[in-house]
Amino acid sequence: MSDNSEVPLARLEGVAKTFPNGTVALRGVDLEIARGQVHGLLGANGAGKSTLIKILSGAFQATEGRIVWKGQPVRWTSPREANVMGVATIHQHIPLVPTLSVLENIFLADEGPWRRDASYRERFNDICQRVGYGLNPNSLVSELSIGQRQMVAIFQALGSGADLVVMDEPTASLAAEERELVYRTVRRLSKVEKKAILFVSHFLDEVVALTDCVTVIRDGRAVMRADTCDIDEARIAEAIVGRQIVAMERATHDRAPPPAKGTPRLELREVASPGKLQPTSLKLAAGEVVGIAGLLGSGRSELLHAIFGADRQATGEVSLDGRPVGRSTAAAVAAGLGLVPEDRNRQGLVPEFELWRNATLAMLENVSWRRWLPIRRREREIATEAIRKLQIKAQSPDVLVTQLSGGNAQKVTIAKWLFGDVKVFLLDEPTAGIDIGAKTDILMLVRELAASGKSVIVVSSEFEELIAVADRILVMRDGRCVAERATHDTSEHELVLLAGGQSAAAEPAHRPSAPLHHGEPT
Amino acid sequence: MSMSSPAPPSGPSIGESAKAPADAPASSSDWRRLFSLREMGVYYALILLVLVLSVTTAYSGRPNYLSVLNVTNVLYQSSLTAIMAVAMTVILITGNFDLSVASVAALSAAVLIGTADAIGFWPSVGAAMSVAVAAGLLNGVIVQLLGINAFIVTLGTLTAIRGVVLLYTNGHSLSVSNPGVIEAMRAFEEGRLEVALPCIAVGVVLIIVAAAFAFRARRAREGLPAVCLGIASGGVCLIALGAFQREALTLPKPVIYMGIYAAIIWFALTFTTIGRRVYAVGGNSEAARLSGINVGRYKMGAFILCSAAAGFVGVLFASRLRSINPAALQGAELTVIASAILGGTSLYGGAGSVAKTIAGALLLFTLTNGFNILNLGANYQGIIEGTVIVAAAAIYTVGSAGRRK
Repeated sequence: MSDNSEVPLARLEGVAKTFPNGTVALRGVDLEIARGQVHGLLGANGAGKSTLIKILSGAFQATEGRIVWKGQPVRWTSPREANVMGVATIHQHIPLVPTLSVLENIFLADEGPWRRDASYRERFNDICQRVGYGLNPNSLVSELSIGQRQMVAIFQALGSGADLVVMDEPTASLAAEERELVYRTVRRLSKVEKKAILFVSHFLDEVVALTDCVTVIRDGRAVMRADTCDIDEARIAEAIVGRQIVAMERATHDRAPPPAKGTPRLELREVASPGKLQPTSLKLAAGEVVGIAGLLGSGRSELLHAIFGADRQATGEVSLDGRPVGRSTAAAVAAGLGLVPEDRNRQGLVPEFELWRNATLAMLENVSWRRWLPIRRREREIATEAIRKLQIKAQSPDVLVTQLSGGNAQKVTIAKWLFGDVKVFLLDEPTAGIDIGAKTDILMLVRELAASGKSVIVVSSEFEELIAVADRILVMRDGRCVAERATHDTSEHELVLLAGGQSAAAEPAHRPSAPLHHGEPT
Repeated sequence: MSMSSPAPPSGPSIGESAKAPADAPASSSDWRRLFSLREMGVYYALILLVLVLSVTTAYSGRPNYLSVLNVTNVLYQSSLTAIMAVAMTVILITGNFDLSVASVAALSAAVLIGTADAIGFWPSVGAAMSVAVAAGLLNGVIVQLLGINAFIVTLGTLTAIRGVVLLYTNGHSLSVSNPGVIEAMRAFEEGRLEVALPCIAVGVVLIIVAAAFAFRARRAREGLPAVCLGIASGGVCLIALGAFQREALTLPKPVIYMGIYAAIIWFALTFTTIGRRVYAVGGNSEAARLSGINVGRYKMGAFILCSAAAGFVGVLFASRLRSINPAALQGAELTVIASAILGGTSLYGGAGSVAKTIAGALLLFTLTNGFNILNLGANYQGIIEGTVIVAAAAIYTVGSAGRRK
């Protein structure tokens, strides 16, 4: 693949990034991107992928190292500058203006004085021809499917005349046939147009099928660089995970044996949600911790929301201790379910409320006189107890939750459920975006809850955490449960493989588009 | 405008600071914030305005501005608006909006006048209130089930319900003629009640409550809750009023209705689980929903409360005039919303206070009243009122800029 003898389009040399608060995101990464190649970039969450992309696209500046662009060292101070030089970045959450037309979005950055420029239409048709995909230039972006929006973003990148297109997880939220379209476009761009493409993805199968070479980043370093034809998914997974890290003590083996048979604590029968979640059944015993491993968009949050009655379209039956739970959040809470949502600021906390009022929101009746007059003293006691028990760094229960750091705010969303009669905890990415100390506290808490007979379902994209706390692990992909493993029978490596694709592809009719082959389609 | 007060009600913590530690000694910044322009601005403005008016009237030899008669007059004039404004505060706290209140009030008044001769006063009050509640239900259903923005929906019902009033009255004024009904209406709306003794009683209760809070706070080694001071000073004022004015202290019935109703809403918002959830629903409806709160029910309840309050205002209004003109109360919704905004209620939900809203309504009517007393002419009134509203909004917005992330 490195048969290109010419100068690589872009070369990163020892690029490092240390944030002002001391976080080291990149510790010196070399990366070479050549024309006509699709370069896969992989890594676990927090490995430094996004930082690298941001440096390449001019959103961040590297603290060390340099970027060599077409043989010249460059220093980009803004995304605009990088864009003008020929780097276009397609971000994961496609930033388009929904109220403007396709055409207007594609040429949004164009600086001509007129809103309608005759040349736009020609350039648009030209791009359509080159990509081999047609779109109605006049339809509003808000009317398009996500796949079509992704194509608009690609068009936008091409409209700016970029030589290097950086795609950050372009397929994460797409359906199978939409993915196929993106793959076709990517291949065409690299092989026919001779563009360089940096393709970031979590899906191992698509990386293997689509890319020419692969770089894997771990802990801010490039740990593997190889031509795709020399490696397979297993090798990549190994590189992503690295040596088995014994970060968290694995208490798996001295855990109590699975509880006796009988009525399960929580039982799901064919719980599904149209378009988001395939029918899923699950039994959860008292004191059991089930981990759900899955990538973004795999249906893991949807599963929790369906269990919790927060998804109105959800079907199927949820029962707790043999009694069916109604389909509303109020019924779920009354039955003894508690959900810690993924996005604590948007879904978990009331910004106007102090810590104590947030902490008691979900079980207000328990701290109230005759269930209708909240007793402030009792509420503050609970908040103080939560601060002590969860080691929340807050001066007093009167602190506004907006003044807490991420990890501490997350602990408040968990505290909401700790002092009520919750029997089953549903934790959606409880450790996302928080520091390692708070992470460990939360994982310890999960084990404590299990030891006291509570059942817990934990969703996480950090599989090592699941291995540390869960008794068994379900792997989700594309809205369905694709595998189940006992924790002592699996490894992070295997989970990455399962969530990223291999055994998913082994199941027939699962993702028709999964087997991809090199070569030019059409 | 953005968030204003940090949701004052909800528990006696009303004045407790967000930042200060629990220990009492460090709470001076707490008190400073509490008495800041942003927290207490509407009270300062009201006090300042009353002072200016009293001094001016005294110097220019006009009758005493602060006479019981004049003050109760202002209360009487503002009572209908205040009733609607309190309900508006609740609906704004839940993050919704109701522009249709004045039209609903007019419809309820028209139904009352139109049916009272035939079926008697109280049955027709029932009819008027049911019509109002139905209007609230309609607003709520459209907003909640179809997911259309409340501003647009109630702008539509504002116009449509006014149209229903026109249809119902056929464009003419209606009036009642049955002497029995007229008698019942007068008994319901007219006349003043002596309130010296109730005043003293309520004052004593307030002081006892404040003392209880203070005692408990001391035992728990917390700072003196600021709400104690507010309750206690309110109690002292009430006792003083009752003791000095005695028989002269009478209040028109609508003011008493307003007082009782506002007290109930204040109590509910401040001390009950319902109130806490209303604030939570407005502060972050998704978080409230995922905490097991039936968000739809609370939002719907606020619509119904708002329309029911408007219906009650319609009943009072019709009883006062014993006739109804199809254009009655047109534009009143703007005064209602202005009162809530003057009281620091956030248009984005999650914050607002009954007491401050009432102070806002009083401020607006004191302005009007002052203009009349000083013979300043109505021409300047609009300019001054508009300026006051925008200035209030500016103070709340600028003051809260640093409070949210």
